[in-house]
Amino acid sequence: MNLAICLLMARRFIEKSQIRQVVEGYHDLSDAAFERTFERDKDELRVMGVPVETGSNNPLFPDEVGYRVRRKDFELPAIEFDSAETAALGLAATVWESATQAEQAVSALAKLRAAGVDPDPGRLAGLAPSIGAREPAFASIWAATGDHTPIRFSYKGQQRQVEPWAMTYRRGAWYLLGRDRDREAPRMFKVARVDAPAQEIGKPGSYQVPDVDLDAAWGRLEPRQADTEAIVAIRPGRAAELRRRGRPVEFKGTVPAGYEVYAVGYARVADLVGELCAHGADALVLSPARIRQSVITELKAVTGSLA
Amino acid sequence: MTSAEQVARLLALVPYLQSHPDAELGTTADVFGVSTDQLLEDLNVLWYCGLPGGMPGDLIEIDMDTVAASGKIRLSNAEYLARPMRFTPDEAMSLVVALRAVRELAGGHVGEGIDSALAKLERATGAPSPHVAVAGGSEEIRERLSDAVAAKVVVELDYTGAGLAPSSPRVAPAQLIVRDGFGYLQAWSLERGAWRTYRLDRISDVRVTGEPVADIGEPPAFGPGWLEQRPDAAEVTLRLAPEAAWIAEYHPIRALRHVRGAIEVDLLVADAAWLRSLLLRLGRSVRAVVPAEAAAGAREAAAEALAAYGAG
Repeated sequence: MNLAICLLMARRFIEKSQIRQVVEGYHDLSDAAFERTFERDKDELRVMGVPVETGSNNPLFPDEVGYRVRRKDFELPAIEFDSAETAALGLAATVWESATQAEQAVSALAKLRAAGVDPDPGRLAGLAPSIGAREPAFASIWAATGDHTPIRFSYKGQQRQVEPWAMTYRRGAWYLLGRDRDREAPRMFKVARVDAPAQEIGKPGSYQVPDVDLDAAWGRLEPRQADTEAIVAIRPGRAAELRRRGRPVEFKGTVPAGYEVYAVGYARVADLVGELCAHGADALVLSPARIRQSVITELKAVTGSLA
Repeated sequence: MTSAEQVARLLALVPYLQSHPDAELGTTADVFGVSTDQLLEDLNVLWYCGLPGGMPGDLIEIDMDTVAASGKIRLSNAEYLARPMRFTPDEAMSLVVALRAVRELAGGHVGEGIDSALAKLERATGAPSPHVAVAGGSEEIRERLSDAVAAKVVVELDYTGAGLAPSSPRVAPAQLIVRDGFGYLQAWSLERGAWRTYRLDRISDVRVTGEPVADIGEPPAFGPGWLEQRPDAAEVTLRLAPEAAWIAEYHPIRALRHVRGAIEVDLLVADAAWLRSLLLRLGRSVRAVVPAEAAAGAREAAAEALAAYGAG
């Protein structure tokens, strides 16, 4: 702590011998103990994010190494929030289910409070979101994404070497976007499919995260746009999701009694067949014939094999 | 001797105590997520900290007598440490993800506040910002629900559960929550006299009544493993073709085994209609269901559908 204050107060680089003289707790140590303690403390400060710089005050004698912390690199920039914003911040402390990330969020909020912001959780009492992180590889991938460390992991039975760029949480699952070193191209990985913690294979900050269009990359995780329509007969009030996606239409062929006809968009035949089967007799596909035949085949499998 | 974790906390504690004069011991401990004993230890360490030189006038001053007498913390002589440190990447990511999760549940004016808070945080940190997406239905529905929670009034929902007929339950809304990527409304069902959860993307309309909510107490915890707490949940094992492995990623399963060219998954099923839909959707991929009776509903539904297709 005293080392941090000493370095922060320094206008110029301070040499190790000067640090030993002035910092409380260092002068009573033996040479070897001081070296050890100083190196450890300095590394600890760096790990916690204190930007300890090394350099020399004298360009003619660059070997006279000293240390300093620049105030503008150390301090949280000025940041102000209005009341709607502080209300949201107040809730953020309770979102994480995983203890490690919850502590990190609490510690970030404590820093904001120290900077004079007062997050106010009471205002949004009705909201209680939560985010899980139960994947075995989550913590290792999260850490590597934060400090840009290349990693190696086994993915669907294959070893992959990846430079993590960013993570996303979608529909209850975590994804990693990064550069696959072997394929020399960006790849998306589902963290749940990595069955053991990832291993670091390089130093933090040893690659640059390019300025990629993250929104476009994440967008590919969303279901593809429906580009074709099927005609589906739906029982009144049933299969709400299909009706919401579709639009009522007139149908020239035979419509079963007691059903309403909708045109429903789809992107993949297999997905639509599964969805139609799940609704049973509540939703009957009328055309195209190919999909109708697939649904009937699947339904026969259920009555047959499960008998 | 101080640990790295403690030093990181002290570096935020000093500016905090300066921007909050006479801060309460208990409140401060809560802010930093530590016990009051730990906080007292921190203060004792700070008492020995200060400017290089270690002379009395260089040290941070804390009135420990006041702390002992009134539980209020007065700290001075630390003007050089008036601002906290920047966020670490881990802190920034954890906070931004949490806010994005709040954003996914919020609607309207609350959502706008979160968007602007996120933008400011991202400018201040320059950190990579993980995206978060939750199936949370429409923003308008979420806003009406959270307004009703705040106003403590009963609402009527248009709701269609999985494989069920639409219904219009009258409920006392308690809170909006997220589990496994889906947003839910937790509410007290007036018809059933019990707590129920409603998936937000299956609520198609919300009508706010003027009826005030009676005292309904706290909703039950809906934490990880909430399904296990349901007394009516039964375990069902499915043997599936390998191409049906996706089920493990979309549904909470208890175990997955690879067995001779097939996979076996154990599921907890609290809702027969849900299992019926799942088995129908899996179709040919299902090789066996244990116990076999669990497949009866799906078999009947398939037979009924085949009859309707004229293909029975």
